[in-house]
Amino acid sequence: MRGAWGRRARGQTVRLGGERDGSSGRGGLTQAPSQTVRLGRVQPQAPGHRTIYCNDRDANLPVKFKGNSISTTKYNLLTFLPKGLFEQFRRVANLYFLMISILSTTPISPVHPITNVVPLSLVLLVSLVKEAFEDWKRMLNDRVINSTSVEVLQDDRWESIPWKKLQVGDVVRIKQDTFFPADLLFLASSNPDGVCYTETANLDGETNLKIRKALERTWDYLLPEKAAEFKGEIECEQPNNSLYTFTGNLIIQKQTLPLSPNQILLRGCSLRNTEYIVGAVIFTGHETKVMMNSMNVPSKRSTLERKLDKLILALFGALFCMCLIGAIGSGVFIDRKYFYLGLKGKVEQQFNPGNKFVVAILTMFTLITLYSTIIPISLYVSIEMIKFIQSTQFINKDLHMYHAESNTAALSRTSNLNEELGQVEYIFSDKTGTLTRNLMEFFKCSIGGVTYGNGITEIEKGRAQRNGLKINGDPSSTGPVHEKGFNFDDPRLMRGAWRNENNPDICKEFFRCLAICHTVLPEGDESPEKITYQAASPDEAALVTAAKNFGFFFYRRTPTLIKVRESHVERMGKIDDISYEILNVLEFNSTRKRQSVVCRYPNGRLVLYCKGADTVIYERLGDSNTDIKKVTREHLELFGSSGLRTLCLAYRELSPELYENWNEKFIQAKSSLRDREKKLDEIAELIEKDLILIGCTAIEDKLQEGVPTCIETLARAGIKIWVLTGDKLETAINIAYACNLINNHMKQFIISSETDEIREVEDRGDQVEIARYIREFVKQQLNKCLEEAENFMNTVPIPKTALIIDGKCLMYALDPSLRGKLLKLSLNCDAVVCCRVSPLQKAQVTSLVKKGAKKITLSIGDGANDVSMIQAAHVGVGISGLEGMQAVMASDFAIAQFRFLTDLLLVHGRWSYLRLCKVVTYFFYKNLTFTLTQFWFTFQTGFSGQRFYDDWFQSLYNVIFTALPVIFVGLFDKDVSASLSKKYPELYKEGMRNMFFKWRVVAVWAFFSVYQSLIFYYFTTSASRRGHNLSGKIFGLWDISTMAFTCVVVTVNLRLLLACNSITKWHYFSVGGSILAWFLFIFLYSGIMTSWDRQENIFFVIYVLMSTFYFYLTFLLVPVVALLGDFAYLGLQRWFSPYDYQIVQEMHRHEPEPTTRPELLEIGNLLTPDEARSYAISQLPRETSKHTGFAFDSPGYESFFALQQGVIAPQKAWDVVRRASMRSHAKTNKPKP
Amino acid sequence: MNSGTVAGLWLRLLLLPLLHSRFTQQELPACKPILTPQWVISAFAVVSIIFVPIGVASLLASRDVVEIVYRYDSDCVPASWASDKLAYIQNPNISKTCTRTLTVPKRMKSPIYVYYQLDNFYQNHRRYVKSRNDWQLRDASKANDTSGCDPEDAAGGNPIVPCGLIAWSLFNDTYRFTVSNSNLPVNKKGISWKSDRDHKFGKDVYPRNFQNGTVIGGAKLNSSIPLSEQEDLIVWMRTAALPTFRKLYGKIEVDLQANQTITVTIENYYNTYEFGGKKKLVLSTASWLGGKNDFLGLAYLIVGGLCFFLAAVFTIIYLVKPRKLGDPTYLSWNRNPGGH
Repeated sequence: MRGAWGRRARGQTVRLGGERDGSSGRGGLTQAPSQTVRLGRVQPQAPGHRTIYCNDRDANLPVKFKGNSISTTKYNLLTFLPKGLFEQFRRVANLYFLMISILSTTPISPVHPITNVVPLSLVLLVSLVKEAFEDWKRMLNDRVINSTSVEVLQDDRWESIPWKKLQVGDVVRIKQDTFFPADLLFLASSNPDGVCYTETANLDGETNLKIRKALERTWDYLLPEKAAEFKGEIECEQPNNSLYTFTGNLIIQKQTLPLSPNQILLRGCSLRNTEYIVGAVIFTGHETKVMMNSMNVPSKRSTLERKLDKLILALFGALFCMCLIGAIGSGVFIDRKYFYLGLKGKVEQQFNPGNKFVVAILTMFTLITLYSTIIPISLYVSIEMIKFIQSTQFINKDLHMYHAESNTAALSRTSNLNEELGQVEYIFSDKTGTLTRNLMEFFKCSIGGVTYGNGITEIEKGRAQRNGLKINGDPSSTGPVHEKGFNFDDPRLMRGAWRNENNPDICKEFFRCLAICHTVLPEGDESPEKITYQAASPDEAALVTAAKNFGFFFYRRTPTLIKVRESHVERMGKIDDISYEILNVLEFNSTRKRQSVVCRYPNGRLVLYCKGADTVIYERLGDSNTDIKKVTREHLELFGSSGLRTLCLAYRELSPELYENWNEKFIQAKSSLRDREKKLDEIAELIEKDLILIGCTAIEDKLQEGVPTCIETLARAGIKIWVLTGDKLETAINIAYACNLINNHMKQFIISSETDEIREVEDRGDQVEIARYIREFVKQQLNKCLEEAENFMNTVPIPKTALIIDGKCLMYALDPSLRGKLLKLSLNCDAVVCCRVSPLQKAQVTSLVKKGAKKITLSIGDGANDVSMIQAAHVGVGISGLEGMQAVMASDFAIAQFRFLTDLLLVHGRWSYLRLCKVVTYFFYKNLTFTLTQFWFTFQTGFSGQRFYDDWFQSLYNVIFTALPVIFVGLFDKDVSASLSKKYPELYKEGMRNMFFKWRVVAVWAFFSVYQSLIFYYFTTSASRRGHNLSGKIFGLWDISTMAFTCVVVTVNLRLLLACNSITKWHYFSVGGSILAWFLFIFLYSGIMTSWDRQENIFFVIYVLMSTFYFYLTFLLVPVVALLGDFAYLGLQRWFSPYDYQIVQEMHRHEPEPTTRPELLEIGNLLTPDEARSYAISQLPRETSKHTGFAFDSPGYESFFALQQGVIAPQKAWDVVRRASMRSHAKTNKPKP
Repeated sequence: MNSGTVAGLWLRLLLLPLLHSRFTQQELPACKPILTPQWVISAFAVVSIIFVPIGVASLLASRDVVEIVYRYDSDCVPASWASDKLAYIQNPNISKTCTRTLTVPKRMKSPIYVYYQLDNFYQNHRRYVKSRNDWQLRDASKANDTSGCDPEDAAGGNPIVPCGLIAWSLFNDTYRFTVSNSNLPVNKKGISWKSDRDHKFGKDVYPRNFQNGTVIGGAKLNSSIPLSEQEDLIVWMRTAALPTFRKLYGKIEVDLQANQTITVTIENYYNTYEFGGKKKLVLSTASWLGGKNDFLGLAYLIVGGLCFFLAAVFTIIYLVKPRKLGDPTYLSWNRNPGGH
């Protein structure tokens, strides 16, 4: 099949050049078995295939294909309540309260059911309303999508029907700029050549257009009359979730035509630059590839939440102990002698003195219901609410993390992990696009052994500066031609000057290779100034732009031709338009790491142009020209050490017979239904050999703004940064230098496989031998480095160390037997650079630290190759940059620039952690205190389980009287301002050490809980023993309990204020409001008596209370005494062992809060600061759904790209090597005991 | 910039309240209290300055109260029955009258409140507290509603009004006082809270079938007086919070002089002997703060004193071992550089 361009292999962005995703060129060593890292569910391929009769609804009827209507809702009207409630009761706390509620309807219970039912139902109500609201939005979205109209062929006419009525086999017409309603087989296009352009931004975020091409045989079915005649049969695979593969055949008039992804238009994409197309529906509704990708990923839970579970468990333990004590007491107490309890006759089991054991057991249950408030039921809901607002309002709208140039704000894709951001200890970073800008500029090249390009990279500048040299002259001020993608300064090649070089023929091949061998689409005017290139990776665009600047202007592409306007070829100044016929495109993928094009010159000359990673190309070179090879290799190293991304170019002349012979096999492979990818790779190997090296290119990828500062800041915060890159060792080290990760004061441990010994062994070619040799080597190196590192630990001051390891060594070092050593060594190092690593290794390294060191890890990356790493880490951060959206889709947080990591971690993460710790410990405290007062009362009621408080007090305590303030603390509390957080990054370490949620902290809270509850209970009761005013009247139980409750509510609310670092008016409102709400409630509640009042009601107690001095005196005394302990503790703690943040607070206590105002927009200058801010905020991207037109808006879509990674890779040489090494390992181990 | 975007801009500016931006940028104006030593010391000082006077005032008020407490439960049992007090109290044929004299230690100004105090009596036991029916007490038409009153809900098939253990176990000792052979009247009106009288006990609800069961728990009620006027019952039924409690018995509205002797005639009927409870008779005056209870005064004084002490200690620490506020050398990373 010709013209298979425009397609991207398996979601791997075409990334040629420096980024080598593997360690060696054996074409297979990259994909280790995928079971080490779980990358998502791989859907099993359904057996067999489906046959679709096009344009014939009746014939398709028996098969019962699914309809095109989709539903992304979780519930419907009927299932909402049962299913929603079921979801809620999967939470242990809710289930617990349900059980308590049921228990409290029995006579065993001392409390009325409302005590537990009210808070539970309020909590459930909040959760259910939220669920319903979300589902409602999804439903509306679905409805809009389902009723979008599409034109379908009916009786020789195009009829508009809604999407949901569409059926498999229908022939539809899609107009420009509309979305495809289902997965379609592309039949015909209004464009000549049967091509159309699609935008896949909704699928993978790539905004460049993709070309799809219909089979020539179906081009004619464009008009309705003609299309009605189309009676094809499609045999294709069952629906699956692989976005980039498709195998099937079209049987039309007894002719079988192979289908490829190239003829498939996926739902979710839209049609561009094409008036309309005609297609046949293959997969509908939930069977479309995009829908099959929307699956739920197990959501990550934060470490804090896991620790919280332990706390809840501890609370359960405390509850059990309290109940046990009470139960034993009740058994001991109960006795017939208390005649006034009426125990002499027939008594119910609970109070039957004749069977004390049963009494104890039943009292146990009684007490469990009574003390149920010890478990903070509203905690989870409150935390959820806080985190939700934190992520949607604070992180997503932070102006500090807003990138004006790309109009991108930070995006928190999950609200589960906010506080995890405050405890990160290890950052794993990708290099390209993350540390660097991923704006590729053609910078240097080497042609036929001669280097061209005089520019100096920033890394070279930085290196020179480190060595004390000054670089003169700003290269951008003088000669270089500079446009996007091209920053090259050498007159020897420009404007035809290359004709005067030593080897103009090689130059010519070099330029042609650049102009022909690519998958770029030109767009816009066909003039060198106005044309824009659509490329999947910026590298490719840079190379084509370079060709244009050298006088080989690629301006048009048709399915079979590439047209190049060549200048100065025949003679100076002459311009020819030349059409090269493209016969085959052998595409780039991460295994091949190269890309080839077979083209035919107008004069019939057949040439294969190839470009790819140096290792891959060098393996496939012919034997001639060893000089050039050697010189070019030197140049490659030179470029690499300047931080440039290199790429080798080669070509091969083909004889027509050789080509025809090969092409047959190629076409055969292309139409095979099974293992097509693998076969194509194998066929490609047959022709990509005996290449002739032309030279190499060097592309600069500049560091992103602020990266060195950011890395330095993060390092000061105690975060260890590991750079995992596919680059060469030298490039990686230089980048590490450039971005402050490594400096000259650091001791470096370099473990590299680029030694002569290893090369020698490799040349012998015995896989088992190689494996064993490298393993031994790596082991030796690790031992040596470890020893040295341990020696360093004993010296003072401890020098900083850095580890640099390359992918091949890493592969062996990750072996279970060496893993421990690697971990130990790397944990001792301040910086680690892993170069030449594959995506999978990135993930392995991440999980090594995550599991081995039990530290919190964060991965940051921008490309598809970082997806596995992003998912493996505790927190995944995606850079929403230029390289598509795969990383963002897999991530938990997305930011536009690496430097925003400072804000994300040091500000938002730290605050989140601080706040949530405060919220959790406070919840713990307030419920414990409340419950303990009940507990003390139990001792004086003969352990009967009599409740101290009125039912309504108890049920509203958690949901009304103490609910709101803590939420405001969770939102607003901040110890130091954002700018101070960044100025003192060391503050972050407090989070790392989990200073605010240690057992010690919890114990302090618990201690004061006990203290306060004792004060509440004993002070209020002791003060109440006698008459309380001149009337001499005496209080009853309910008067005293109301007094105690008043004190609890007031104290607990004030205690929160005491814990606040910053108090806004919202704090005052909420704390004041809560206390006020209590008084309002009690005035009303005790003021009216209705016929449905329960027994033992508290009628009028507050008025009785308030008529006495006792009330006012106690009301002043008890909260003060209760808070005295906390106050003294806080004072002493700050005085004698202040937290770091407290010192910083003190240092800056006189400074007003700096209102940070990023100068974002020019318009800001015309406005007052506040207006400018409002404007800037209004400019932030709104939360509009970008996913209109197709249903993808379910929270489950997070990691569908991971699936691509999870596709089981064919057996590769590495597996063989690995197995061999394991065998030898086992053998050597056997003799040992 | 065209006019459209300007209009849009201003629209947005108007629509976006300032709060919104300050909110999302987390820059809400806030006060940031720092618990500096000065703050701690002054807080303690302020508390002690406020508390000590209140404590003194409360204590004085409490000390002003003259209280006579007389425990009679064993005193009033004849020596011959001392070994089996329970049999004594349960024997209906023995006279339970017991006369004793009390001496007034200090002048007692009227009103003088007469209380009885019970010990080890769990009025707050769960079985006891719930054993009543508020509807029945309130509403004559609900006499049959005895739910929750078990086992004292019915006698001889008829509902008891007031039902339940609380009413059944009503205290039934009585006291009569004479001073120099003249009767000292005890006013039993107005000893209960008005809200209880008016709303919790019906004016048209009369005791019915009360104490007609096999075991008599305590006092009987005059079935011709509505519950709202049975103040002893009303007082008794406001159940106490603790197992040791006082209940108001009545008021003596005559001043008593110091060293006067009062003769008390106690009808000792109530059975506390079975569960080992104590019975006390209390005569007490009242201050503005109520009865004699040193607790509040002492608590205020002690807390005030403690605060003063703490303030002093903190001041001394502050002077002896001052910590400069905001001294960067205290930052953990400056204290042990390089340490983790």
